[in-house]
Amino acid sequence: MVLYNFKKIAVVPTAKDFVDITLSKTQRKTPTVVHKQYKISRIRQFYMRKVKFTQQNFHDRLSQIIQEFPKLDDIHPFYADLMNVLYDKDHFKLALGQLNTARHLVDNVSKDYVRLLKFGDSLYRCKTLKRAALGRMATIMKRQAPNLQYLEHVRQHLARLPSIDPYTRTILITGFPNVGKSSFVNKITRADVEVQPYAFTTKSLYVGHTDYKYLRWQVIDTPGILDHPLEERNVIEMQAVTALAHLRACVLYFVDLSEQCGHTIEEQVQLYESIKPLFANKPLLVVLSKSDVLKLSELPADRREAFKPFQQEGVPLIEMSSLTEEGVMQVKTEACEALLAFRVDQKLRTKKVEGVLNRLHVALPAQRDGKARPPCIPEKVAEKKLKMDGCATGRKLEKDIEEELGDEYTLDLKKNFDIRDEWKYDKIPEMWNGHNIQDFIDPEILEKLEKLEQEEELRIQSGLYAIPKMEMDETMKEIRELARQIRDRKSIIRQESQVKKQSTKPVTPRTTTARARERSVGRLREEFENLGVDMSETDKANFTQTRGRARSLNRPLLKRARSGADDDEEPRSRSTSKGRSLSLAPTKRLRMDSEGRARSVSKPPRDEMGIKDVVMKKKLKNVAHKAIAKKVGKTGLKGEADRFIGTKKPMHLFSGKRGMGKTDRR
Amino acid sequence: MPQNEYIERHRKLYGRRLDYEERKRKREAREPKKRAEQARKLRGIKAKLFNKERRNEKIQMKKKIQAHEEKKTKKTEEQPTDGALPVYLLDRDVQSRAKILSNMIKQKRKEKAGKWDVPIPKVKAQADSEVFKVLRSGRTKRKAWKRMVTKVTFVGEGFTRKPPKFERFIRPMALRFNKAHVTHPELKATFHVPIIGVKKNPSSPMYTSLGVITKGTVIEVNISELGLVTQAGKVVWGKYAQVTNNPENDGCINAVLIV
Repeated sequence: MVLYNFKKIAVVPTAKDFVDITLSKTQRKTPTVVHKQYKISRIRQFYMRKVKFTQQNFHDRLSQIIQEFPKLDDIHPFYADLMNVLYDKDHFKLALGQLNTARHLVDNVSKDYVRLLKFGDSLYRCKTLKRAALGRMATIMKRQAPNLQYLEHVRQHLARLPSIDPYTRTILITGFPNVGKSSFVNKITRADVEVQPYAFTTKSLYVGHTDYKYLRWQVIDTPGILDHPLEERNVIEMQAVTALAHLRACVLYFVDLSEQCGHTIEEQVQLYESIKPLFANKPLLVVLSKSDVLKLSELPADRREAFKPFQQEGVPLIEMSSLTEEGVMQVKTEACEALLAFRVDQKLRTKKVEGVLNRLHVALPAQRDGKARPPCIPEKVAEKKLKMDGCATGRKLEKDIEEELGDEYTLDLKKNFDIRDEWKYDKIPEMWNGHNIQDFIDPEILEKLEKLEQEEELRIQSGLYAIPKMEMDETMKEIRELARQIRDRKSIIRQESQVKKQSTKPVTPRTTTARARERSVGRLREEFENLGVDMSETDKANFTQTRGRARSLNRPLLKRARSGADDDEEPRSRSTSKGRSLSLAPTKRLRMDSEGRARSVSKPPRDEMGIKDVVMKKKLKNVAHKAIAKKVGKTGLKGEADRFIGTKKPMHLFSGKRGMGKTDRR
Repeated sequence: MPQNEYIERHRKLYGRRLDYEERKRKREAREPKKRAEQARKLRGIKAKLFNKERRNEKIQMKKKIQAHEEKKTKKTEEQPTDGALPVYLLDRDVQSRAKILSNMIKQKRKEKAGKWDVPIPKVKAQADSEVFKVLRSGRTKRKAWKRMVTKVTFVGEGFTRKPPKFERFIRPMALRFNKAHVTHPELKATFHVPIIGVKKNPSSPMYTSLGVITKGTVIEVNISELGLVTQAGKVVWGKYAQVTNNPENDGCINAVLIV
């Protein structure tokens, strides 16, 4: 569980942004149109609203900032001290305090100007007053620029602080710089702290977590500390000191025996002595690191004298090497055990424990006499059990064998084969003397094959497979033919409908080109013939007596002709097309164009230019037709020559005020 | 868990993505285009703000370029020769900024020049209709003898309002001011000082007596805060100042000290 979440603090804008945000919010969220002919009370109200709104926004945002930052007096002393070390408590408090004052000032400005606005007697006066009010609020905020900037820095840094829970089980690692603290943390946790061969690689606290006894342990890596008085310590060291002072943890004091860190053993012990007050009331272990380089036993006796203070105090010394991982786990276990014992001890000392202990009672019955009272098992049951045990142990399982042999065990399935023992482990080759062994597994295979073939022959002879000849009579043939026709027709219909369905685009009504007339005598005749109606003698039938289409054109001609030759023509014969063509040889007309009589032109018409042969012409015509039809169909034109534009100047795009705005949005 | 300088650490370990520099360069190269597009698109107040900012930016840019160019050209300026200057050259080109503020002679010369030699000599007259608002009274609101001052006023400390029956002029509490921002023209500094009284409102003597403060009004202010001293060593505490803004429009009184 995270006790303090410093990551949630909202971003603190710079003073400029602060003002911009607030003023643009006012602009966005309050009415913007006012006219001087409005009632004065309405004008006053309009501007008062702006002033109050701006003030409220400044107020809210400032309150939010003030509230979100942690109060140094309320948080755990560890964090309070850490923040003091990192950000300077006075500066922090001052910054927040000044924001608080700014908030009050903004409120006061708003109050004053709203009062003045109440006596505004013109739009201009109200407007200038509003302007002055907002300007003064903005100035107040501008003065807070350094504070806001500082708080933003603090926020960013706070968010990156490791989330240390000051109450949980904690292992704290300390010592001179470069003695292997971070390496150890990397070994037992996944913290991934930077390790470098120079001093002060770790510049701040790092936290990692490890498991021991199914519990979560917090491991804190601190920057190295040097041996000098508290006043001279810098920020980096002070962080370590803060952690040491406020966290109730198991302290691991690291000592580099090899002196690779640049400090002698004596110096390291000296540091221990000088920071000893910080270790009071905490379980403590001294870890002799880098044991791969030098071990305690390899140290000359006179140097070993240095460790006397530890022995006197009864602080355990443990050797460890992060490189070879020797003793790492031991250090961890020892530390955890020590802390666990310490915490339990602490808990036992509190008053709360008594309340719990009073309620606990473990009953321990006292022994009555020396008589042995073994459990009573009936004889039969015992016998059965014995048998069952025998059964179980009778056959050795593969698993048992595996456990027995260990690494030498190999799975042997051949020993269970149902053949003679001497054959069990014989090897069977795949090919032998050029034959596939598998082929000869069945020795009677050839005989079997022969038998099968004989049987088959017998069957053929008896005529089991002969196909009987079918004789088709006339009716059968007719039926077949009809069926075929039906099938064909069906498939045609299906294909047609599929073609029709293929286009899913909506069709505008105008696209449908004038359809050719579907009903005709020819078609009627054909279809009826197809259906099997005899149409041979229908020349004089009623339905054949249709009029020609282009009658209106040649009617006058016809009339003239009839008046001229009235007697030798049968008047009724004009109704049939045959009769007409006979009676009226169309008069040849002059071909005229704009220049008068048309002459033959050596130039071919445009649709024939550059075309090789008839086939190509046909093809091109087809292509053109399709292209035109497509265009016409898509755009809903009447035909190829249709140039119609529906609305030339759509109202919504050509009317209304424009100014700097856009044409399509107003 | 990410903690402390984890971003820098990651960068140290794994570096940036391979095209980081390229992308950065491109983004920067794209910047002018983006800005141009914004400049074209913005409308109204946003455009105004944007253009103002951009203009300032450009001015700064040009100044910088100029400065750099000046740096390039070699200056042939004579260094002041070492050694002591002759007496007759001592005062040349060395302007003494510090002026003795309370100089009796200067004061006298000023007074001779004319008592009302003020920073704002011409003042727009304030009409009665501008300054007063007619308040109607009586049961049927028929009487109209009451006036309310709609300008900023100064009302002395010991003032008590008359009973309503006799109170002809009402000076609203909201419009009463007793402090002014006074600028010392020579110190070029402004102080927030209390007003002692209204010396003269040029529009009308009645305004003066009512304490109406408009632009051009001469007020007496308490400048003991400034710590000015007379020749005799006494602390000057009352001085005149002329109002330079329209207090009723700005919500504050700005004035220039008359020295």
